[in-house]
Amino acid sequence: MFVPHSELDLKKMFDELSINSLDDLFTHIPDALLLENGLDLPESLSELESIDYFDDIASRNKSDLVCFAGGGHYDVYLPQTVKSLTMRPEFMTSYTPYQAEISQGILQVLFEFQSLVCDLTDMELANASLYDGATSIAEAISVAINKTKRDGVIISSGLNPNSKEVVNTLIDGNKFNLNYVELDNYLFPADYEFDELQAAFVVSYPHYEGSCQDLTELVTKAKEKGIVTICYVDPSMLGVLTTPGQMGFDIIVAEGQSLGSPLSFGGPTVGWFATKKEFARLVPGRLIGESRDKDGNKSYVMTLRAREQDIRREKASSNICTNQTLNAIGSAIHLSWLGPEGLYDMGYHSIQKANYMKKSLIKNGYVIPNDDSSLREFLLEVKTDASEVINKMGDKGFLAGIYYDDKHVLVAVTEKRKKTEIDDYILALQEVDNG
Amino acid sequence: MVSGGNASSLPLVGGKPEPTIKELSSPGRRASNFPKLDVPEVKINHESLKKEKARLPEVSEHDLVMHYSRLAHRNFAVDLGFYPLGSCTMKYNPRFADSIASDSRFANMHPSMPEEFTQGCLKVMYEIGNYLCEITGMDYASFQPPAGASGELTGLLIIKKYLEINNLQNKTEIIVPDSAHGTNPASARMAGFTVVEVETDDRGMVNIDKLKEIVNDNTAGLMLTNPNTGGLFEEEILTISQIIHNAGGLLYYDGANLNAIVGTSRPGDMGFDIVHSNLHKTFATPHGGGGPGSGPVAVKEFLKEYLPGPIVENKDRKYNWYKPKNSIGRMHGYHGNFLVTLRALVYMKLLGKEGLDNLGAYAVLNARYLSSKVSKIIPLAYDEPCMHEFVTSVKDLKKSHKIKAYDVGKALLDKGFHSPTIYFPLIVPEALMFEPTETQSKETLDDLAESLKLIIADLQQEDIVLEDYPKNLPVGRPNELIPAKFLTVNWGDFELLEITE
Ligand SMILES: Cc1ncc(COP(=O)(O)O)c(C=O)c1O
Repeated sequence: MFVPHSELDLKKMFDELSINSLDDLFTHIPDALLLENGLDLPESLSELESIDYFDDIASRNKSDLVCFAGGGHYDVYLPQTVKSLTMRPEFMTSYTPYQAEISQGILQVLFEFQSLVCDLTDMELANASLYDGATSIAEAISVAINKTKRDGVIISSGLNPNSKEVVNTLIDGNKFNLNYVELDNYLFPADYEFDELQAAFVVSYPHYEGSCQDLTELVTKAKEKGIVTICYVDPSMLGVLTTPGQMGFDIIVAEGQSLGSPLSFGGPTVGWFATKKEFARLVPGRLIGESRDKDGNKSYVMTLRAREQDIRREKASSNICTNQTLNAIGSAIHLSWLGPEGLYDMGYHSIQKANYMKKSLIKNGYVIPNDDSSLREFLLEVKTDASEVINKMGDKGFLAGIYYDDKHVLVAVTEKRKKTEIDDYILALQEVDNG
Repeated sequence: MVSGGNASSLPLVGGKPEPTIKELSSPGRRASNFPKLDVPEVKINHESLKKEKARLPEVSEHDLVMHYSRLAHRNFAVDLGFYPLGSCTMKYNPRFADSIASDSRFANMHPSMPEEFTQGCLKVMYEIGNYLCEITGMDYASFQPPAGASGELTGLLIIKKYLEINNLQNKTEIIVPDSAHGTNPASARMAGFTVVEVETDDRGMVNIDKLKEIVNDNTAGLMLTNPNTGGLFEEEILTISQIIHNAGGLLYYDGANLNAIVGTSRPGDMGFDIVHSNLHKTFATPHGGGGPGSGPVAVKEFLKEYLPGPIVENKDRKYNWYKPKNSIGRMHGYHGNFLVTLRALVYMKLLGKEGLDNLGAYAVLNARYLSSKVSKIIPLAYDEPCMHEFVTSVKDLKKSHKIKAYDVGKALLDKGFHSPTIYFPLIVPEALMFEPTETQSKETLDDLAESLKLIIADLQQEDIVLEDYPKNLPVGRPNELIPAKFLTVNWGDFELLEITE
């Protein structure tokens, strides 16, 4: 199907190689290792048959639910412009821009991505993407450990639970002391005392539960002890939120799905990583720099390559090679489409709508334990069992939120949600959650 | 003149430099539009809200579309021409997969849903798991690793946990060939192992005597690709596997080169215990300018309980998540690069048994044919039959004419081809590594060989300035020292540099 070789081609090629069959290509492979009858797999499908096959699979998903789930992945409006441009074959079907002269397109978009991330978060240097939000946190912790040569890590418990699992996998708990600090009334305790054994302070902004706080003083206190401060930020809220840079953070990492990528069942999305220039040589992943060619033409090229695995091997700052470039391109184009006003609208509308929803829920007898401190995402205390509520709400056409614990559902309201959807959600909830 | 498959292409718009999106910005413009707020607006006071707007460009939608389209024009791609980039398997990416991967019933699925809501997604992972295990000769797979390097780290963490549970913590050394890809030693170090290199012999294969010398009680395992990074099949793989297993170590297969053997031979039958596959190579998902990929890890039965969890099971005709008992933990926030995995399943379905049985054979045929042509122009690094790719060396040309692998790559760009991979594997001086893949036609391969012949002749001429190549592209060679020295990695940095200089 995708192999062009005709009988005639085969004959000419076999002649060039003095062989008679494809099998003759493998005479140097031990017989014991050659598959005799090929693979035990189903026959091929034509495209037309594949449409039916995948239609059947797709129809098994409950894909038409009105989405009130977040937790890092948000059902925001993704404009067609972003989808069309990121699907341009020159972006989609190219490789890493190792050959700069023939890859100026990818290089410049990535340079713009890095710059947009810096502007948005008030940082100085961003890389060209990591796998996702969760792995970016682990990479940031590694940078802090390498920078400080200390072995303690302070992590706020208000972090996406899957991200915590990823950190626990990637940062060796036998060598490093991973300290999870419980939130106090959904906020990181303002009186927390840091010490000089700690390498990193990691905190989510907003917290996983949706509460948000000014972290400036905590950051100042941590930095006084020489600790590297790491902010896991929800980037699509930065149209309305104080930036991590303004609060003094050393490193920001983010799950970038809500800027440029569809929900995608969690992947591919993109991990953002930005920091101050003093950390440049510890940064994981690829970096694009601006330069000039010999005639003075503006040109872009991958830089600080000596940090990377293909050159530094086991001494590299990370093992990452293939990253999430196409999703980073999506972020750059989406941010350019939004502009300052659009990103503001996105954040402001979601906060207003979440506020409307919280107040309506409270009016209807529900408890929102973090009503005051939360913005577009909050905990909803249910009367029956949280996972049952989510299942039953599914039958009513809603993805009610994310299971938090048996009594709580984590609810997110994006700018996409309509008032009618919120009202209907609450009506449905009252029907399914009557304890 | 042009017949069948001339893939020489000069698609790049040259001329004026493209401004940045920031330079295109003008106050008051916007592309975005949102519905009017439909809930009663109230004053919200919160200490985290800011007064000022974000620093973002202000552009009209047409300006935005023109800008990014013009940038796209300045980029080479598989869809434009021949990309013989060794070790990267730049084969054709079926358009058909685009339509399945952008079906909203997959693309708009939130990752945190109860499994009853996501039976379709789970089925995708279950089905492709079966394909992948059959193709590699393994038993169970996890699709969390988002790329090959993450798959390597997964495999090494599995080895580590396995040794830990079996009280073999003394085993701390991972053996890696000196020809290995950089991610191998980098991953081994990240997993907390010591890296021990084993030499490659004159034929381009693992030196068995040296391997025997290196292997000891502390050997935790070996990482290898087969064919190796020289494009050669490790003929002694069964012996290698015996040496490692006898020492109580495990064998890890770096699947970057799997394309060579699909349908012909299987890592599982060679003795490998853990395999990662680069779905973005062997299974034709687009590389996206550097990513996303998908690097699932498959293991033999005895390692199932160590896989990153959860993995998909099928019980009573229902798919469910299963958390392996000794799982190393999560490698990704959710389910890996699901839409990439989905594309790979589309590809496997389209190829089916017929296509997959001969996949490796056609890839090898193309490489063997191209190597036959190319070896008449520049010498092969190893005088052995190649698999899906082959390595050449221009070390003699460097000596005689100061022509480096780098220069050959740059000159080839002018002919409308992407450069082969250069300086990899590191053990071959002035290496150029060609991987044609099975989707290129004979004419295209002939065309590349012909162009290579021309440029090698050109570059040897007296009055040539090697640094001038490439000549026909929007820019010449960027100065690599400036950004490395001055960290011009953010817009404004370069201008600032010019002012201060
Ligand atoms: C031999 C080899 N191993 C490992 C990798 C790493 O895979 P990835 O880029 O998907 O992380 C590559 C990729 O180029 C490779 O060629």
